[in-house]
Amino acid sequence: MATTTERDDDTSEGGPLESWTNGVLKDEAKRQRLYRALFWTACGFFLVTTLFPFYWLLVLALTPNNRILTGDWSLPVIGVEFPHPQGFNPVAFVEVFQVVPFHYFVFNSFVLATTTTIIVLVIATLAGYVFGRLEFPGRGALMLGILVISYFPPAAFLIPLFDAFLGNPVVVPFLGIELFSPPRLVNTPGSMIMPFSALFLPLAIFILTTFYAQIPDGLEDAARVEGTTRLGALVRVIMPLSAPGIATAAVLTFISVYNEYFFSSIMALENNPENWSPLVGGILSYQTQYTTDFNLMAAASIVGVLPVVILVIIAQERIVSGLTAGALKE
Amino acid sequence: MSTEQRGSEAGRESQRSGPIVAVTRWIENLGETAFAYLLLTPIFVLLGAIALYPLLRTFELSMYTGILGEGEQEFIGLQHYVDLFTGDANPDLPGSVIFLPGISTDGSFPFVHVENWVRSTLLVTLLFAVISVFFETIIGFGQALVLDKEFRGRRWVRAAIIIPWAIPLVIQGMIFYLMFHPSTGFLTQYLSSWGIVASTNTLNDPTSAFLIVTVADIWKTTAFMALLILAGLQSIDRSLYDVAKVAGASRWQQFRLITFPLVLPALGIAVLFRVIDSMRIYGLIDSVSSCTTVPSLSCMVVETFYSSRGLASAVAFVTAGVIGIVVSVVIYQQYKEGI
Repeated sequence: MATTTERDDDTSEGGPLESWTNGVLKDEAKRQRLYRALFWTACGFFLVTTLFPFYWLLVLALTPNNRILTGDWSLPVIGVEFPHPQGFNPVAFVEVFQVVPFHYFVFNSFVLATTTTIIVLVIATLAGYVFGRLEFPGRGALMLGILVISYFPPAAFLIPLFDAFLGNPVVVPFLGIELFSPPRLVNTPGSMIMPFSALFLPLAIFILTTFYAQIPDGLEDAARVEGTTRLGALVRVIMPLSAPGIATAAVLTFISVYNEYFFSSIMALENNPENWSPLVGGILSYQTQYTTDFNLMAAASIVGVLPVVILVIIAQERIVSGLTAGALKE
Repeated sequence: MSTEQRGSEAGRESQRSGPIVAVTRWIENLGETAFAYLLLTPIFVLLGAIALYPLLRTFELSMYTGILGEGEQEFIGLQHYVDLFTGDANPDLPGSVIFLPGISTDGSFPFVHVENWVRSTLLVTLLFAVISVFFETIIGFGQALVLDKEFRGRRWVRAAIIIPWAIPLVIQGMIFYLMFHPSTGFLTQYLSSWGIVASTNTLNDPTSAFLIVTVADIWKTTAFMALLILAGLQSIDRSLYDVAKVAGASRWQQFRLITFPLVLPALGIAVLFRVIDSMRIYGLIDSVSSCTTVPSLSCMVVETFYSSRGLASAVAFVTAGVIGIVVSVVIYQQYKEGI
């Protein structure tokens, strides 16, 4: 909304439109000014559209719930409808933890995300080393295979995984041989960490491959001459030198797991923190059980979003480089 | 002092002949190929168990009847797929969801009439992917052009643009739920007076919910597009623009003849990535609306897998197949570049 008014300012600024247009066409300085105005308008537009929804959350969280339901958003003085907090009720941020044990859900999310990140980093480091630094037959085909598997939808993996995590026997496809019955894993971290690791492994592999491939061979050779083993050289030379890459992979994996919805909502059978239900369960239990506590829904969302917002502000450079390296490798 | 040293020396000596040392020595003596495959074993195990096995097993289960937790029941071959495409499976899908929309042709404009597109799981998924990626590309390009400039506060603008990408799906869903819920959302009042969304029960109205979910997705994932396009923009050699300026090219000509063609490869990859990703949509729909209101393919798998496992497996495999078509384009590109 703010942007439409800005745009109006731009066009009305020149007064009589025609002379202004002529000025823009002939005068270089005026043209530069127009470009600058356009640039800042676009910039403002993007800022408003990306940040407005968060502002809306804040408005709802601070407004007492009975005032939300009556739904009058017009500003007292001008009479224009524009969302703004109606009253000041920060207690909602305390109630969020009392109505539902929201901190347990967030805690579960942190545990799942941290564990998955560690597993992914260990496996992806080995793979990144292999793909980035070794030449062997089948290298291209294997990378492509990992890429392809990462594209498949989680829905295509769900049914057999869920079946197995319920404790039913794992059967070799098309042969009908029962291998073994896994323990009942639903409602435990394992049922989520395993799919998460598989889902987010490929991105980490591609990021680490890019970073490990950039370390000069001479450094690794020097370490080997000193008497380190190949894995020793990986741990003592290549990994420390690729610390930014490892941080990038870690941040992206953590965010991805924290944000995951599909397996998080299905593998915990009820939205209970005892069932290892993560953030998804916490937010959804407001939506399904406390259907009219809109201020609590908004407050819970703000609490849940804070960790990633902080992470984005701190690790911005890493995220940008990781996303582009993962997608546009080479 | 010296005795201590000798003691630790002796300890190291004894370690050298332990099992760990034997394994280390064995690993050291492996050839490069064997070493590579040894290090890749964890991935093979993980991806084999969590991705490859379920994928094959899904295909197998799609050829049997039965419910979750049972062994295979009756073998019916590809009947589930046939049922899906002929419409015989539509009664088994929840709500009033159908698989293919009714398509009829007659002489009148626009010649091909699609009935009930908003109930067709296949069409909803494809349309969602096409529409959301189209707008994400355009808006993302704009964002990338803004971020490509040097200006004060660029870092903060970039952070603001990335934040929607980084927030949890469920919170994204909650935000749009709260923006469009008829009792809270001030937006619903505005938009329904223009006839864009339904005024009551907005989030359960198929067309409105589809629109809202699409807008929500554009809001969140445009940032991803912007970052990839930005990477393309920043790899452009700046001296090209100096040459263009000397040659008297206008800004539009610079964009059309230099920026756009050089960004196109990065743009293409970004679009493919996003198309693949958007066809998996599930969480957003589940948290904003409900799976029967906006029936994406993944939604249908989740809704039916408890009651009719075979059919759900067939839908899952069709989803994988549709995505596989796009993936093969990616593979072809990678192959051309020589991965």
